[in-house]
Amino acid sequence: MVSSILILAIGLGTAFGLGLLNRRRAVLALGLTLGALGLMAAMAVGWLIVLAQGAAPVEIYTAGAEPPFAINLRMGLMEAGAITLITLTGLLAVLALRTALTRMGRGSMAVVLVLIMALSGLVMTRDVFNLFVFLELMAISTGGLALLSKDIRAIAAGFKYLIISQLVTILLLVGIIFTYHATGSLNIDDIPETAMGFSGLGLALFLILIAVVLELKPFPANGWALDVYTAAHPGFSAVFSAASGTAMLVVADKLVKAAGPDWFAMFTLLGLISFIGANIVALRQDNDRRLLGYSSVGQLGLLLAVIGQQDVLGEGYLYVAGGLVLSHAVAKAGLFWMSIMVKARGLSDWAAIRVRPPLVIAFATFLAMLTGLPPFPGFYAKWELAQVLATTDRLPILAAILIGTLIEAVYLFRWFGMAMKRETDTPLGPKQIDCMVVLITLAAAFGLGALWGDLSENGNLFATVPMLAALFFLALEPMPAKLKNGLAIMALVYWFAAHAGVYDPMRLIFLLVMILGGAVILLASFNEDGRRVGFYPPAMLMYAGLALLLEAQSTFEFFAAWEVMTLGSYFLILRGKQSEPHALSYMIFSLGGAFVLLSGFALAADGVTPFPLSALSLVPEQVAPWVFALLAVGFMTKTASVGVHIWLPGAHAEAETDVSPMVSGILLKAGLYGLVVLLLAMGRQSLHGVDLVNVLAWIGAISAFVGAVLAVFQEDAKRLLAYSSISQMGYALFGLALMNHLGWLLAVMFVINHYVYKSMLFLAVGGVYKRTHTKLMYKMGGLITLMPFTFVSVLVGIIAMSGVPPLSGFGGRWIFYNAILETDLRLPLVLIFMSGPVGFLYLFRLIHTIFLGQLKDENHQIKEAPIWLLVPQMIFVAFLIGFAIVPGLVLQRVDRFLGTVFGDQPLIWHGRAVESAFGNWNPVAIMVVIVVIFVTLFGILIAKNHDAVKVKQFNIVFSAERPYRPETTHFAWNFFAPYRRAMGFMEMPLVTRFWGGVSEALSGTAEFTRKLYSGNGQTYAVQVILFVVTVYLIALGGVA
Amino acid sequence: MSSFHWVQIPYALLTLFIVLNYGLIMTAVVQKIAARVGGRHGIPFWQNYIDLVKNFAQRSKITHGVMFYLGPVFRLAGGVGLLLFVPTIYGSTWAQNFSFAGDLVLALYFVFFGTLGMALGAGESGHPHAAIGVSRGLAQVTMAELPLALAVYAIAVQYHTLNITEIVAAQQGGLFHWTLFTNPLATVAAMFAFVGTMMRPPFDVVLAPQEIPIGPPTEYHSAYLALMQTNRAIFPVAKTVIYMNLFFGGASSWGEFAIKVFALYMVSAFIGVVHPRFRVEQSIRFFMKWGVPVGVLAILMV
Amino acid sequence: MAQVSLLIGFTLILLGLYGALTNRDILRMIVSFTIADAGVNVVLVSVGYMAHRTAPILDSAVPAGQAAARIIDPVPQVLVLTAIVIGLGVTALMLAYAYRLFRLRGSLDISQFMDLKW
Repeated sequence: MVSSILILAIGLGTAFGLGLLNRRRAVLALGLTLGALGLMAAMAVGWLIVLAQGAAPVEIYTAGAEPPFAINLRMGLMEAGAITLITLTGLLAVLALRTALTRMGRGSMAVVLVLIMALSGLVMTRDVFNLFVFLELMAISTGGLALLSKDIRAIAAGFKYLIISQLVTILLLVGIIFTYHATGSLNIDDIPETAMGFSGLGLALFLILIAVVLELKPFPANGWALDVYTAAHPGFSAVFSAASGTAMLVVADKLVKAAGPDWFAMFTLLGLISFIGANIVALRQDNDRRLLGYSSVGQLGLLLAVIGQQDVLGEGYLYVAGGLVLSHAVAKAGLFWMSIMVKARGLSDWAAIRVRPPLVIAFATFLAMLTGLPPFPGFYAKWELAQVLATTDRLPILAAILIGTLIEAVYLFRWFGMAMKRETDTPLGPKQIDCMVVLITLAAAFGLGALWGDLSENGNLFATVPMLAALFFLALEPMPAKLKNGLAIMALVYWFAAHAGVYDPMRLIFLLVMILGGAVILLASFNEDGRRVGFYPPAMLMYAGLALLLEAQSTFEFFAAWEVMTLGSYFLILRGKQSEPHALSYMIFSLGGAFVLLSGFALAADGVTPFPLSALSLVPEQVAPWVFALLAVGFMTKTASVGVHIWLPGAHAEAETDVSPMVSGILLKAGLYGLVVLLLAMGRQSLHGVDLVNVLAWIGAISAFVGAVLAVFQEDAKRLLAYSSISQMGYALFGLALMNHLGWLLAVMFVINHYVYKSMLFLAVGGVYKRTHTKLMYKMGGLITLMPFTFVSVLVGIIAMSGVPPLSGFGGRWIFYNAILETDLRLPLVLIFMSGPVGFLYLFRLIHTIFLGQLKDENHQIKEAPIWLLVPQMIFVAFLIGFAIVPGLVLQRVDRFLGTVFGDQPLIWHGRAVESAFGNWNPVAIMVVIVVIFVTLFGILIAKNHDAVKVKQFNIVFSAERPYRPETTHFAWNFFAPYRRAMGFMEMPLVTRFWGGVSEALSGTAEFTRKLYSGNGQTYAVQVILFVVTVYLIALGGVA
Repeated sequence: MSSFHWVQIPYALLTLFIVLNYGLIMTAVVQKIAARVGGRHGIPFWQNYIDLVKNFAQRSKITHGVMFYLGPVFRLAGGVGLLLFVPTIYGSTWAQNFSFAGDLVLALYFVFFGTLGMALGAGESGHPHAAIGVSRGLAQVTMAELPLALAVYAIAVQYHTLNITEIVAAQQGGLFHWTLFTNPLATVAAMFAFVGTMMRPPFDVVLAPQEIPIGPPTEYHSAYLALMQTNRAIFPVAKTVIYMNLFFGGASSWGEFAIKVFALYMVSAFIGVVHPRFRVEQSIRFFMKWGVPVGVLAILMV
Repeated sequence: MAQVSLLIGFTLILLGLYGALTNRDILRMIVSFTIADAGVNVVLVSVGYMAHRTAPILDSAVPAGQAAARIIDPVPQVLVLTAIVIGLGVTALMLAYAYRLFRLRGSLDISQFMDLKW
């Protein structure tokens, strides 16, 4: 391999060489610059490949002498990676900056080259003074690049940056000279491990380290950096964030390694403060580039903390830090480059990118990458980091990191929501090269994801069939929707067929509901014409997540699948017209839940990788309850149990017609599946004498009741159904928490039934919405004759759901009664009993206010719902009736399986009838008796009243008048007014208020804190000095 | 567990016939008693037969649509089904009806079959009074039924079965074996529900003859109304039979049946005669304050 | 002697910082930073100074053999040279900024350049 000093030489040489060029040959100069950067990058890549294959790090000596008498450089794996990143960023940045650079001439290009060279030098050098020189070069070239702008804001920012550079210089030089004085060497490797404290060398090292930390723009001493991010050309901001940041991280790493582990705590603390602080402040940011600046500051803080944790990360350090650095750098650079094409600076101005789907994909990818979502390197790194931190009992650090990430996700995904849902007046300014730069970055993102997956000892998401299938649908985007839909259904059916034979009955039920059920719901999607861009990739991503979830054997696989599913469903939910805030709250709650899961899994694994799900049962006694609690909370976020339910109504109600049944009928079951897995493995756990399973039962009961009561008060049909889901999931949770055979059978019943009737009802209501263009029930009414099929499906749906015999809901109730008779858990039962009849209220309201009562004048012409919406509904109707008559076909197998789990067999199956210890249930007999009675009476009525005259709409006896106006006669709005008078206190939005309070507190803190950034360069300098002094005092205090 | 034989069909029809006539006469008698208490003369005890025949014979009939048409069918099917899913006479070979199809849970949930169908039918009439009545009825029943559910749970735990016949069997052997005495809390709770769901004052705001003339059935007439009247004779008796079976030792003969049902029915009539009417929210609060705590005590004490 | 120059160096640094933080005029700030830079350089030199030794120039007066014992450490002096050069560069750049800022806004008051904040 060629000597890596050439990387520096080429950069410097070309920079000088450009000066010899004719001033007017700007294009040639640009070509030379690109060539030089390309060459530098090629060398870096070459080194990276060689070193990655296991070659030893190479020392490069200069001036013919060994250190400490001469400067030496080192090229190791970390260095090669960093330089590859820096040079490639530089290369793409020059492409992105091409217009500005050509306008400003060769000088500007030379400055870019010097900057990249200086950054590479920073990475490689082992000499502190050399470090100083490169640092100054970096400062000067950064300042120089900002100076070339015409924008006064950029120039002011550059000047603020230089002021801080001066301070850094002073700190650094004083630190260096005293270090030299104490050690007699300028070589980093000669710095002895030194404790923090009063010693001269301790102080000297502190000065050096804090100078480096200052270059990482720590919150809150970073107003200057934010101004640079905001004002500079984004092509350059990308370098400032991705390349400079990376270089400084490497510097921080090598210096702190030399100074010894005593300093790790300081780095961790400063990093975490920066990570959380910057992210909180970013919450109130509405300028895209400044937002990215805050995010950069935050991410650099996170990495600083990771550097501080290298003592426990051990061999995984490079993998973790690398994954995070690359995720940050690639995503941030990509976003900055995208912002070149977005011509206005508001966050919602990114709506302009919607005209170019590839850019939307890139945007989504970069955000997912920054948030550490699969399948990108940050995800694997985050997992690894969590494992290590949990193993070494550094849970507060883990918690801080996860909280920071969550806050970052809030503003990033809010931004994405704005871009997808809002409108902007400023069109996109897409240039081919800019697009290309972004797409190259996008490709790098996926490439790195695949690489990190490959390096992971937990398995590679890119190597799984469902994931590849989901990605394949990205490529299919230009195809017509109907074709894609067919393929999607085939894919799901294939996956079902391939796995149905191998799963145990419990998983089979979930496979049935999630995958085959998904295929049935997708039938409704045939209704859509055109290409339906942006639907299939997220939908298939969600199904991929679900498929992988059922496949998962280890906690990692489970978690990865969970995140994939979350990501896919978020994009899917966001497609709804009014869904922007709801999709965001869904994402935040889901991510929060996922992070709780992550902590739980990490705590459980205690460093074992990969950790099989089944081994959850072996978790030692002292941590087991905590693991249980964390996992349960995580799963309950998905089932929207009360307390963490506020995301559900909006998310389900505002989703598209065929998406609502997917996210309600199918996705909620993922939470139940998680709980099943958890309870199967861990059983009962108690914490401080409280049986956690009983807590689950209470939560389930409260959810069942609260969800039902709130459903009663909804005017929006889809919201009503959504609240009802909270209630139904509460039932299922309660069933599971009974921890007996029948309780679980009950939960399985709910898994199946809820899928069927909720999907059916959502499709039905969706069909009505398509025709009436409203979801408000009081605006409908009397649709029974116009939409008879939809009516039938709602009718069957509500009978099944309410548990009235003879349909299948009754089976659930019967099992429920038998299950609860075996439990000692009496009090929560009261709530469950209460919620039963409340179900009638909202169900009746649903069918009455939509289909019965008075038809509105404007609805006289509407037609039955589209055929493709009806097809799955009719399948469901048939299934419900079939399942009502022969529930045993499905239940018997699960029942047997549960027998092996609980070691009992409380149900005895006699053909089609079932007998329990308490009673019996003969579905066929029930059906026959009811049908015979019904038909007989119907016959009698027909015999008598077959000649009844069909009267017109207003032919009713209404206080001896005829109303003629449906609006005044259709009793629908606030339908259960009496109930509201009695139970209205349940509507008090306590939970909403709580979460609202949390978010307001955060946002208030953000608003208050960002006032720190007064914009005055001098203030910033004072802040920096105060920061340094404070950190020193705290550090000393920490030592003392 | 018994199973089906064809002979059960005529047996069941016989039960139905007896209960229908009993119900028609009993409700009229109770009406008459109530009238006498109020110092009026009251209706003849055969009045229900006259009404039934009149309504069946009525020639002018209209319909508002399919559900309107089906509503009464649902309603009566609910009443008849409820009667037939529960054994009427303990120990009788033929008055067991179709109770083999299910247990107490079936009976409890089948109560709603008629209510639901009726509400749907009334809804299609498009009459706001019908909708208001349904709204009130459903709202009230959410709380009124709750003590019963709790009481049922309590006695199911007590007798360790959900099978009605077995529950009755466990109460045989004397007055003090009745649930009324072995589990008074559950019985009291259940009686709250009983009084609350018999559509008599103070809980009859659903039909509220003064404000929303006759509530859900507002638009019904002719054979529709006849079916519903039939149900009004059968349904309260069927329901009372359940209470009788669960809490008052059941009936081992038709005589005992007649007396017990009448006595139980009179409980709600009594209370109704001397009480003014509750608004819905008042009755909900009433049950929350009095009925539910008793029920909760009942399930905690077993 | 070394202590005195060290003290002077630090005093200069503090003076410079004080000036840079209290003067709103950009040119004065730049001058203040130059003073602080000079202070740093004095500190650098004084740390490298060893009493009773000669300049690190190998000539007839100081034979190479005795150099280690008779000359002062040359490294800090080299550092100072480099630092001076770099300081010059930075100062020049800051002056260029001052010029541009003045051209664009007609003012050299640092508090006039607060367009970006929060």
